[in-house]
Amino acid sequence: MRVTLKVSRFDPAKDRQPYLQEFVVEVGEKQTVLDALLHAWEVDPTLSFRRSCRSAICGSCAVSINGRPALACQTLVGSAVAEGGVITLEPLPHFRRLKDLVVDLEPFFASLQAVLPWVVTREDHDGLMDPEVARKLEGPATCILCGVCDAAIEVAGEVKPAALVKGLRLALDPRDALGAARLQLMKVPPEILRLFVRELTQKCPKGIKIAFGEGES
Amino acid sequence: MLMHEVLVVGGGLAGLMAALKAAEKADVAVLSKVYPTRSHSGAAQGGFNAALGEDDSIEAHIFDTVKGGDYLGDQDAIEVLCSEGPEVIMELERMGVPWTRTPEGKVAQRSLGGAGFPRACFAADFSGHVVLHTLYEQVLRRRVKIYPEWYLIDLLVEGGQVAGVLAYDFPRGRLEVIRTKVVVLATGGCGRAFAKTTNAHANTGDGMAIAYRAGAILSDMEFVQFHPTTLYGTNILISEAARGEGGYLRNAYGERFMAHYAPQKMELAPRDVVSRAIFKEIKEGRGVAGRYVHLDLTHLGEAKIAERLPQVRDLAMRYAGVDPAREPVPIEPAQHYSMGGVRTDVWGMTNLPGLLAAGEVANVSVHGANRLGGNSLLETVVFGRRAGWKAAELARQEPWPSLTSSTLKRALATWDALLDAGGEEGQGRNGDSAFAIRREMTTLMTEQVGVFRTGSELEDAVRKLAQLRDRYQRLKPPGGSRPFNYALMDYLEVGYLLDLCEIIAKGALRRTESRGAHYRLDYPRRDDQNWLCHTFVRRGEKGPEFSNGPVKITRYAPQERGY
Ligand SMILES: Cc1cc2nc3c(=O)[nH]c(=O)nc-3n(C[C@H](O)[C@H](O)[C@H](O)COP(=O)(O)OP(=O)(O)OC[C@H]3O[C@@H](n4cnc5c(N)ncnc54)[C@H](O)[C@@H]3O)c2cc1C
Ligand code: SF4
Ligand code: FES
Repeated sequence: MRVTLKVSRFDPAKDRQPYLQEFVVEVGEKQTVLDALLHAWEVDPTLSFRRSCRSAICGSCAVSINGRPALACQTLVGSAVAEGGVITLEPLPHFRRLKDLVVDLEPFFASLQAVLPWVVTREDHDGLMDPEVARKLEGPATCILCGVCDAAIEVAGEVKPAALVKGLRLALDPRDALGAARLQLMKVPPEILRLFVRELTQKCPKGIKIAFGEGES
Repeated sequence: MLMHEVLVVGGGLAGLMAALKAAEKADVAVLSKVYPTRSHSGAAQGGFNAALGEDDSIEAHIFDTVKGGDYLGDQDAIEVLCSEGPEVIMELERMGVPWTRTPEGKVAQRSLGGAGFPRACFAADFSGHVVLHTLYEQVLRRRVKIYPEWYLIDLLVEGGQVAGVLAYDFPRGRLEVIRTKVVVLATGGCGRAFAKTTNAHANTGDGMAIAYRAGAILSDMEFVQFHPTTLYGTNILISEAARGEGGYLRNAYGERFMAHYAPQKMELAPRDVVSRAIFKEIKEGRGVAGRYVHLDLTHLGEAKIAERLPQVRDLAMRYAGVDPAREPVPIEPAQHYSMGGVRTDVWGMTNLPGLLAAGEVANVSVHGANRLGGNSLLETVVFGRRAGWKAAELARQEPWPSLTSSTLKRALATWDALLDAGGEEGQGRNGDSAFAIRREMTTLMTEQVGVFRTGSELEDAVRKLAQLRDRYQRLKPPGGSRPFNYALMDYLEVGYLLDLCEIIAKGALRRTESRGAHYRLDYPRRDDQNWLCHTFVRRGEKGPEFSNGPVKITRYAPQERGY
């Protein structure tokens, strides 16, 4: 099918203002927005956007698609077009743009530091883990650090969404020595965390579910 | 000028493991063209082999690996791989890897192809991903300096010693020199040499080509693994775990055709055997719609698929529109892994002083002519760890190598001129482009240097590759501003790939036998008399110069490989 892409362009070396450039590309309905972008790139090789795995596992290609933060390689052209005829691509909101669709990821990766993003292994850990507990780690451990949650979810407080996900993943880990202190590091009251976790499942491209405060309300 | 005692190039599993170990004793930095967590190691689904099980043994793992590699692997290196496996898995466990567990709480293991036991440690089907992120956490903990989105462009060699690197700071668009005592190359594979590949866009073999250009020996490059089960069309990988959990392969008649090719191991025969079987089925008219075969998981049931293969299900639904719990998945073989690489010893040392290599970029060689599922992830952590230790040791012992300003000026001038040659306009005015060359090159590799090879097709491929290289040399680099200029990097990557394609095709032409993943229709038998040897290649005046290297055989003499 023929698809019109409107891609937000901005090169600080020469542009004063961002502008939308139109590309008309030929792609299959089952192909992804990333495939469409790669076609556009061949038309204009100066177009900049991140990509690598093309299978929703590396987190590189997060952009705003028709106003919604998402992974370009996970969004099928057919479904994106259905939303309004053209596909509009912009950089992730709440991130500083460096060029075209490329945003500054340094603050994003640095934001993880707030939650001491590693397991502080308990001295007496014996290498075993209850399989049920291990299963609970799986959800948050599938986070690909794509940044979509930081772009799409507002949480009050200084710790950013992706860092909260990391913090919650570590808080669930029985190997970790910090225990209850993990929740304090996140500096967000439990009721807000519960709301966050619910919203995350809706907005995260991996649909991450976190078993936090289950059964309570 | 930037200086680090040890510079690790590559932020995948091999690179991060090397950096962690080296950081215990030396000043280390990691240079990576994508943020470390975006490395392709994260796409690995199946698992890490290690003989942890009570019925399993290191001995059995060694034997399976030797046999799986069709006796071309170096048995001393294989012994290291398999012996250190269990210990590395437990080290990763302590670091925080969220492995899937058995009812007793131990690290769970599944069967992958060519293995006598369920030996692959896994975390659902996100095995590479969770370990990559855990190692990244540890690298943060150790405060290892990371240069994200910096490209290795060239190795600075003086008096035969690696003394630093020329790197390209992509976000700023600037060349930078980093002085170092030791470079650890961990740049991964070169899957993007092929049109049909499971590999990420970043896997363009840069490290192999850059090392080769600097004088390092590459070995066994003609051994390229084609994975049997990739989604038809997109070639996104469907992990061997799908067969490990009990999936079947069926042809157009619904028949489990592996019964004709590997009656004992069936779907879990090594990948080279299964890929050839699929192609044969398709070629002989038993393909579905004449083009692919089916991976059937429907009998596993929705619950098992959801628990053990959630990513596989998601990938099949999204990219093929098929729910594997209900319908069979259309699959075809595609390039997956490069057995060959920069020749190293069991400590990652190459023939160039100051250059070490580990992971898919390297050839130690543990995989021989065909890699078993689960052994590559293991290789990245076992040999990444060793390269890290070795690098730290060298950094302690060795003085700073000399790097004169003339070497620096020459390198900077050459590369600056090249990067700027495109000007504002860049390539494209004469109608040719790196895009076009890449497309022709990768199609040629898949069609003529693929699963089945013949002398005449390989000769033709070598000829065409030379023509593509001529065209490439006439090309003007892409223009435009330098920061985040993906076309400029793509242009360089096509140059690396052209070098590697030539080596792969010529190596395949030279090797007049069939062994593991290298299959010659005109020489269908393994020939231990003449070809039980590694292929070594170095850059000569007029292109690659080939020679044969000895295979280390310690315990297992070559036998016929039956499955
Ligand atoms: C889809 C898929 C599934 C797989 N599943 C399994 C499995 O289940 N089990 C198994 O054992 N193996 C598996 N493999 C193979 C295994 O994942 C890889 O061989 C392994 O992860 C390679 O790791 P690495 O660290 O060597 O390289 P990579 O993870 O590829 O990392 C390479 C690094 O080098 C960097 N780099 C590259 N070029 C440059 C440059 N010029 N300058 C700076 N940096 C550079 C990149 O940024 C990246 O950080 C799979 C492979 C694929 C493709
Ligand atoms: S939680 Fe989801 S949206 Fe947020 S960074 Fe991780 S994968 Fe992306
Ligand atoms: S390209 Fe890796 S997540 Fe989209």
